[in-house]
Amino acid sequence: MTVQPDKDASASGRGQAWKRRGWKPWLLHYLKRVPVWIPLIALVVWTVGPILMTLSISAKIPAEVYSAPSLIPANPTLAAYQEILNREGFRGAFMNSLIVGIGTAALTLTVAVPAAYAFARFRFRGRHLLLLFTLLPRLIPSLGLMVPLYRLAVAFGALDRRTTLVLVFTSQILPLAVWLLVGFIQQIPRELEEAANVDGTNMFKRIRYIVLPLAFPALITIGVLAFREAWNEFNLVLALTRTPGNRTLPYELWLLQDSVGFANNPAMAAFAILTLIPFIFVYLRIERYIVGGITAGSSR
Amino acid sequence: MVKMSTAKTTSTRPPREPRRRLLRRPRSVGQDRNSLIGHNKAVPYILSTPSVVLVGFLLAFPVLYAAFGSLFRAEFMGGQEEFVGFQNYLDLLTDADFLWALNRTAVFVGGCLVFGISLALIFAFALNKAGRRLRFLRGLTIVPYLVSSVAAAVMFRLLFNDQFGAVNRIIELFGVEGPTWFAHTGWAMLAAIVTQVWTDLPLAVLLILGGLQTIEPSLLDAAEVDGATGWKRATRVSIPLIVPQLAIATVWFSYATLTSLGVVLALTGGGPLRSTRTLPIHLYETAFLELRRNEALAVVIVVLVLNGLLTLVYTTFSRRFDIGN
Repeated sequence: MTVQPDKDASASGRGQAWKRRGWKPWLLHYLKRVPVWIPLIALVVWTVGPILMTLSISAKIPAEVYSAPSLIPANPTLAAYQEILNREGFRGAFMNSLIVGIGTAALTLTVAVPAAYAFARFRFRGRHLLLLFTLLPRLIPSLGLMVPLYRLAVAFGALDRRTTLVLVFTSQILPLAVWLLVGFIQQIPRELEEAANVDGTNMFKRIRYIVLPLAFPALITIGVLAFREAWNEFNLVLALTRTPGNRTLPYELWLLQDSVGFANNPAMAAFAILTLIPFIFVYLRIERYIVGGITAGSSR
Repeated sequence: MVKMSTAKTTSTRPPREPRRRLLRRPRSVGQDRNSLIGHNKAVPYILSTPSVVLVGFLLAFPVLYAAFGSLFRAEFMGGQEEFVGFQNYLDLLTDADFLWALNRTAVFVGGCLVFGISLALIFAFALNKAGRRLRFLRGLTIVPYLVSSVAAAVMFRLLFNDQFGAVNRIIELFGVEGPTWFAHTGWAMLAAIVTQVWTDLPLAVLLILGGLQTIEPSLLDAAEVDGATGWKRATRVSIPLIVPQLAIATVWFSYATLTSLGVVLALTGGGPLRSTRTLPIHLYETAFLELRRNEALAVVIVVLVLNGLLTLVYTTFSRRFDIGN
């Protein structure tokens, strides 16, 4: 816990700092940093450990999980993945998740971009009120919406439909999306648009050729956050879907716990790992954007 | 500045800072009357309508709908709903299941806050001190954010397994037999807390880290010159300076843990012996297993109010200790 604030860590660079206090041997320098290293190692173990353990279990056969609980499987096998991939429920839910996720991301962007542009560029009566109205519901948890949305969906005959899920997830992520985008668009110099305006470019072209390209990082962030929202949401899927064909992955994984039995741990592990697939592909490219996005979105 | 110093001589409490606007009015943008763009009267309404309608209909309206519906009750499943006033809420006060769920929620949220915020502080301080080559660790912290609550619960079920789980393997290294996590009431709660903290930690770490990075290095240098040890600098300089971020992290954490259904439902299902039957599980069971929907709506409102109260407590609490930025 005793973190040693160390000037060497600052941007001034390690080499120069050593020159300044040249009498200190470098070994002492590293020993001093032990209080920083230990939490960092703990951080890595804490973050990656559970996923690595799950990965390891998913590459074993059920009996081996009990007999040889080592991290590295003796005979790695993909049998568990094969079993999961062959399950009707998984493939259907995977496709559903994909469709709903991409649909949510697309709808969020199409709805949030014009709104954010209006809030960022126009002065109009009720601007602040409308902005507040769009942003404040961020504080409404999806848990609280389970029952009312279920009843509304029943009333409108919208239960158990992918479209409903897309609309609901979009509304969940919209406050954050608008918030991020308004801030981003406001930072784009107005003069760029004015110049284009003088040249006779209309608003849609200005958005298309000036605002969107410049706001690209924010668009990626929002797209990924919206996709994640749809991909990972459990509460609302639990409330709004009924038939196996319309469920998404978290619900299916929750049901799997009962259906495969506790003995088949590799199958459970494989399913959990498979739900991470879309993020594994994009993680390295989006990590920076997400860090910025979720920090900005939550700290308002 | 002058105001501050005169106020300080009269009382030890710093003067209340002017109330901050919830949304800062942008200074140059949107206010520029001479600008060539952004003048059409109708266009902004048209552009913002879809998002306002979506948010209004699918976020704001359901809450009103819940508040309204909680005043009714059906005598039997699917029967005619009759207006009963606040009877649903009054019944909650004597409902043993509900009170037990409140009790469990307090333990769960409290445990998550204590464990989560201290862990987040440790990680954030360490990340703040990590050199440039370790910058990637910051990105690594968001990994749990991408894992769904159910997937996290499944992973931790395997980790906490009493026969082959990694946690018990590590405990065995110390020569102690690990507990049967999901068969024991106290241990099951602990497992649920750890899992919940795992899924929600990234945000807290990033928020606190963001706060630490705004601290002027000169303040820490001055403290060091005055002979403050690392621990003292952390607790007496850094932490007071990041009170706002700590408060936001705490609010977020309590919000996330108070309304978390997936983790607990998939990890313990509320058991053993209902020891982890938190408010969200009570809500789920009332609404979707017992099908008492109006009563469930009352619980929804209670959850929302609790949420608002917690937020209020943290923000006032933090304002009192905030030394201003």
